[in-house]
Amino acid sequence: MNKIDKPDIGRRDVLKSAGVTVAGAAAMTTPVTRAEAAAKAPRWVMVMDLRKCIGCRACTVACKAENDVSLGRFRTVVQEKTYGTFPKVKKGFLPIMCNHCEGNKKDGVPPCVKECPEYPGKRMTFVTPDGSKIRYRGGATYKRPDGLVLIDSELCIGCGKCIDACPYGVRSFNPFVKAGKKPEKQAADKCDMCKERVANGIDPSCVNTCQGRARIFGDLNDSNSEVAKLVKEHDLAKNVLLPKEGTDPHVFYIDPDNMLAELYKKREKGKLDHYVDLIP
Amino acid sequence: MKKLNRRNFMTLAGASGAAIAAGVGKPRKALAGTVTFKNGGRDFSPITGKERKAIPTACWGCVTRDSMIGYVEDGRLKKLEGHPESIRTLGKLCAKGQAGINQVYFPDRILYPLQRVGKRGEHKWKRISWDEALDIIASKLKPLRDAGTPEQFMYAYGRHKASQWAVTGDFLAAYGTKTIGNHTSVCEAAKWVGQESLWGGMYDNWDYDKTDFVVNFGSNNFETHTNHIPTSQRLIRAVVDRGVPLYTFDVRLSNTAAKSTEWVPINPGYDGLVMLSMINVIMNEGLFRKDHFKYMRVTPDHHATTAQKIAAVKKQVAKFTPEFAAKKSGVPASKIKEIARGFAKAKSACLVTYRGTVMHYHGADQERAAMLLAAITNNLDTAGGRVMGVGGSWNAPSSKPAKVSKGLHIKDGFPGEAAYPTHHVSQSIIPMIIDGSHGRPSVYWWSCYNPTYINGNNKEAAKAFQDETIFPFLITTTIAYDESSQYADIILPDVTYLERWDWEDMVDASQIGENYIRQPLVKPLGESRCQGDVWPELAKRLGFDLVYSSKKDFVKQTCDMTPGVKEAGGFDYMVKHGVWHDKNAKPNYGFYEAKVDVSGDGVILDKKTGVYWNHKKAGVSAAEAKSKGYLGVSGAKSAYVAQDIEGTPRKAYPPNTKFVKSGLLDFYSDNFVKKGLPAFPTYTPTPEHEAMGKDDIILTTYKVAVHTHSRTTQCKWLSEIKHDNPGWINTKTATERGIKDGDKIKVKSDVGEITTTAYVTEGIVPGIIAISHHFGRKFSGIYGSGKNNPMNAGGSSDPDVKNMTWKTHGVHPNAVIPNSSDPISGTQRWMDTVVKVSKA
Repeated sequence: MNKIDKPDIGRRDVLKSAGVTVAGAAAMTTPVTRAEAAAKAPRWVMVMDLRKCIGCRACTVACKAENDVSLGRFRTVVQEKTYGTFPKVKKGFLPIMCNHCEGNKKDGVPPCVKECPEYPGKRMTFVTPDGSKIRYRGGATYKRPDGLVLIDSELCIGCGKCIDACPYGVRSFNPFVKAGKKPEKQAADKCDMCKERVANGIDPSCVNTCQGRARIFGDLNDSNSEVAKLVKEHDLAKNVLLPKEGTDPHVFYIDPDNMLAELYKKREKGKLDHYVDLIP
Repeated sequence: MKKLNRRNFMTLAGASGAAIAAGVGKPRKALAGTVTFKNGGRDFSPITGKERKAIPTACWGCVTRDSMIGYVEDGRLKKLEGHPESIRTLGKLCAKGQAGINQVYFPDRILYPLQRVGKRGEHKWKRISWDEALDIIASKLKPLRDAGTPEQFMYAYGRHKASQWAVTGDFLAAYGTKTIGNHTSVCEAAKWVGQESLWGGMYDNWDYDKTDFVVNFGSNNFETHTNHIPTSQRLIRAVVDRGVPLYTFDVRLSNTAAKSTEWVPINPGYDGLVMLSMINVIMNEGLFRKDHFKYMRVTPDHHATTAQKIAAVKKQVAKFTPEFAAKKSGVPASKIKEIARGFAKAKSACLVTYRGTVMHYHGADQERAAMLLAAITNNLDTAGGRVMGVGGSWNAPSSKPAKVSKGLHIKDGFPGEAAYPTHHVSQSIIPMIIDGSHGRPSVYWWSCYNPTYINGNNKEAAKAFQDETIFPFLITTTIAYDESSQYADIILPDVTYLERWDWEDMVDASQIGENYIRQPLVKPLGESRCQGDVWPELAKRLGFDLVYSSKKDFVKQTCDMTPGVKEAGGFDYMVKHGVWHDKNAKPNYGFYEAKVDVSGDGVILDKKTGVYWNHKKAGVSAAEAKSKGYLGVSGAKSAYVAQDIEGTPRKAYPPNTKFVKSGLLDFYSDNFVKKGLPAFPTYTPTPEHEAMGKDDIILTTYKVAVHTHSRTTQCKWLSEIKHDNPGWINTKTATERGIKDGDKIKVKSDVGEITTTAYVTEGIVPGIIAISHHFGRKFSGIYGSGKNNPMNAGGSSDPDVKNMTWKTHGVHPNAVIPNSSDPISGTQRWMDTVVKVSKA
């Protein structure tokens, strides 16, 4: 019974490789193939179809369960707002999460990663679908070649600089996990796009449960993927949160009614109370 | 129907690749080509990456009961997801379903049998063994049964469905009591009574996958519904993917209203009137369709022609002009006309109603108006319309019923309270027990129910529970210490739905029945026990046997004897797959059209009604049948065979409930006439609203997406998102009373007063206050009430308690809402209470 719809083994193993392989000691000593010019990693992104978000909060709670997110903080939330004057009143819903930013054009390093004192850290290898290897640097916060911005709590010193640096305010300290390098502090935490599910070819938990199918996950680098098609069809490159920050976010919003500007409650400096899911 | 194994797959070329196992460092050869992402079906620990054990089961957070997969890691339940193979849920699950894990592990859960040792409400308890508990219970129940007074044992339940009800009903029948209380009348009974008076059955499904137009009166389908996940996801996709217009009439800007093409604000209690005015427009403008008229009865004459019927409907609704409806409802006449025309002209259209429409005075008649609107546009049980729901059916074993079987007459309200309480009048049970003139049970046992919280005027009920002369012995089976269990004499620790066996049958959204089961994901915590395991043990102590030895055994027997499931592999198949449906089944529409063979022995045609019925089955001679007629023979409706429809015997709409009727849709109802109720759907003013003073406003209640009425506040992930229930009040109404957003306000009615906070918003019609009804828990553990139980129930601690941020827990509106029934159906009128609101 635990093998529902199991994909065939070959594919599963293969998918696993699309995720990161933190090369262990043996791998570190193995001569690493230089990244080839053609090497291309997937680019994981999320498209949020605001027309289909009904504010049900299944994503918020699914994320809590999947990642055992402690109370008082979230890895994803739905912001909602009522606006207009009776009887012409509207209410909209805006799911937000880590934008898995590409980082600015100059160095391609997202602001959270840039501020991490433990970055750049150990040398890591990413194996692309075609078997090529891409080398990159790890850290307590780092960006993987497939675009996922991740946290290595073992390397975290709990300084909170990444939390302050994120213009979206989607990071917080995890009271359940100690900072590996400074155990008297707590490690930083945020959405990792359910990387273990993704590594096994399964949608992130919030996508899985989204009844409106407002959340769509996939590889932007694959022109046949649904996300690539949606980004192209709806011209979403600029339909992101805080485009002027130059962070190059990779969570895109389908928003034909231009609700983003009305709905998005931005982070106030030094605060995180915009990132709380609360139904009025 | 969709090919399920392809559903939701995303093509992701480039996701395939070579692998290096950590520490090996030797890349494997890459696979070329496209790899598909699966939407679900597997889950992995985010810490270790280890795959979690997947077990198919079913939710029970609400009555929707989605089939789902539970993921277990090292014996602990970690995650719940929709079942990807379910044709009902299409792999989706709502927030309440996702938070089901909290139901198992909330720190205040009751895990051991408890016996009261102090006074009622003193919270003094002694832990006892199951043997002791069952011995005590048997010592109360056996003498009642042996003395031939089994009716002195009352059992009341909130949500027992499918096998949970089957085993309990089986035990109660074997014991002999018919004093059984349910809760449907506080839910939506008026809707069912209205439907039963017409199409002879109940539970309308809304065929969103095929519809072209949706008009919704008072259903918050996107947040909550008795078939939420199957219908809600289909509706939002219809709206966005297919551009289906959705108009929502509601007093409040619910999420459903917000995501509709248009929110149409409406004053409370006028849904039926607006529907009648839509019928007025459609009839007068000739936009009706004749197809369904042959199945309709709109005058006393069963044989009226379609032309006569059209004329009669026109006449009946003539006074309900859009202008008249506009004056009362606040909906502009032009809007009523626009929506009426859109509805009638659409190829298919869905007429949706729920609590907003029916939990009112004459709520059942408002549902009849909805059925009429669907019928005159031929959107009744046709593709894309309002259709009769189809669920999986099961053949279950049953035990030998008791020789003596009796019940107290306290289920259907006080004499004269309700004309057709076909789903009983549960809110009147406690008032009737207090009254005492119709008998009092000496043992009252309740489960999955919180009677002193969820009913109207709940303070009166709580007072009665403390009085041992009114309730001599109280037993409850529960997972939580709550407002009612605090007064029990014996508390039995129930399992959660994630620790038990069941077969399930909730209605599908695509008109094909699905059979599915629930199985334990983890071992029951502490000494908690499923009632299906308790009944056989208790029966033995009472001196009789049941046909099953455990709930698992009952589910196994059922799976192995149910056609279809049996052939697929029975119990073993269901344990492995969780869901089954007939792959060759066609969506079920138009059951009423089926031609019927009337050549059987004893089948005769009743000239007056056009009903073919079997007089032999009804137990009367041919002569008596002829002289008395179908309507004159008691029990003849059980011998209904067919209805003559323009010369052809068809199944039509058989009288499957208590209503004695022909096979026609009784829009003209003899049943209603007999009880002095309107023969034809009409507008009947609400007496209390007619008598409202200048400062009075109306209180309505509602649900949010993340809570059920009374069983979710202990879930930390839900209460974190919603833990307070301020009163929604329009800016204008607030300003008139000097109330600002966030002010403390008093809400006062004839039965009581509560203090809450004002949520001043433009998203509600003026002249009302809306308060959700999930909160104000006196006891619901730390997460629901801010305090641990006042006794040690054995619950485990949760390290997350120290991270809890919220300090408000709301107030329950039921303290100011009287128990007040719709005189037709006995439905509790949640939406009719007149209150005064002022700054506290």
